[in-house]
Amino acid sequence: MSDEEFRRQALTHLDALHNLAVYLTRNGSEAEDLVQETYVRAMRFSHRFQPGTHLRAWLFQILRNTFLTFYRLREREPALSEDGIPAGGAMFHDAPDQDGASTEVLTDLDRALSRLPEEFKTPLLLAEVEGLPLDEVAQIMDCPVGTVKSRIFRAKERLRDYLKDYGQDFNRS
Amino acid sequence: MAKDPEQGQGEDQPTGDDRLMSRALRERLGRYPASPRLRAALVQSLEPETARPRWNASWLTPAISALATAVLMLFWLAGGLPTAVPGDALRDLTRAVVTEHARTLSWTDAQPDVVAATLPRVMDESGVTLNILFTGDSDIRLVNAHPTYVEGHRGLSLAYVDARGHGVTYVIFPGAALVSLPEHERVKIETWRPVVRKEGGFSLIMWKQQGLFCVLVADLVSDDDLARLKQYFVKVRSATDLYQRF
Repeated sequence: MSDEEFRRQALTHLDALHNLAVYLTRNGSEAEDLVQETYVRAMRFSHRFQPGTHLRAWLFQILRNTFLTFYRLREREPALSEDGIPAGGAMFHDAPDQDGASTEVLTDLDRALSRLPEEFKTPLLLAEVEGLPLDEVAQIMDCPVGTVKSRIFRAKERLRDYLKDYGQDFNRS
Repeated sequence: MAKDPEQGQGEDQPTGDDRLMSRALRERLGRYPASPRLRAALVQSLEPETARPRWNASWLTPAISALATAVLMLFWLAGGLPTAVPGDALRDLTRAVVTEHARTLSWTDAQPDVVAATLPRVMDESGVTLNILFTGDSDIRLVNAHPTYVEGHRGLSLAYVDARGHGVTYVIFPGAALVSLPEHERVKIETWRPVVRKEGGFSLIMWKQQGLFCVLVADLVSDDDLARLKQYFVKVRSATDLYQRF
């Protein structure tokens, strides 16, 4: 794959990467920084990408590793947002306006999701929101498929519990 | 549609609750696509890597031969090759900004009275818009502003002078996606974590803001002086609201 083709294909996943970055960092500015860092690294190490394998999963893996390496360090010090916004304080401030009817549920889901640990949140978002197959999620998470299934199952359990706190009951169909 | 992640697991068989939760996640959870600004910044920053003209094979062979000869001569003359320093985009930017600072010190007059009048034109030229700008206080004051060109990027340079007469240059240009700021060089200054470097007798504080690469540079290198530069950083960082227009 040529550099140009690699770049073109990599950029087709920009929206999905940014979406995950927002949920991981909970900060619009840091999400953009994380995505930029991901692409800088992807281009730097593009020679390591094996054509025929999943480029999307590879990019998600870089993004996650970058987040764990750099951005998670900041969570230990809440005041350390690079852009001066306390971590979590400006959560989803760039979110598009929602219609009134769905705003409450959307906010509760967002809030509940933000309470999940990263190792539960990432596989849940990748599988359920991005629609990635479990083997790709397992590659990104660097763990067996069974572990991914278990984490998604437990993530949903926790989400249900959290949503009860906000008056949302997902136990009733 | 997402594959059911719990399919096939005895205790994790999908239930109505699971399906409801899966649907809620897919349909109700907000999506946050990349902004056009981020997309444009990425396209722009990734392009130079691929837009370089390919080598023409007709001159590649003689070029390699010449290079090999030169290397052999180096071995013969010096007994070994000099240590090669790996490429460092941040170091290149650092040096370019120091040069810009030196240029500002040498050629820029202190004309605080005309900054307000010239700033709109400077912003037009640079592509950097300043919604709010730190113009100074009793410690440091803005004395000039001009468009600049750093490592192939149009940007903006703000010249400040502190109470002791030190020139402090605040350079802003759209290079945030070009380089990463090394985690081990970050320093906590109030609520921010910029990179602090010293280069050729100058101190630099570097950070990213709204997709722009920002640097504060001055000849303040001693511990006391660097502490003052950090104070200036807090002033300009907290009082400057900017964005990249193109």
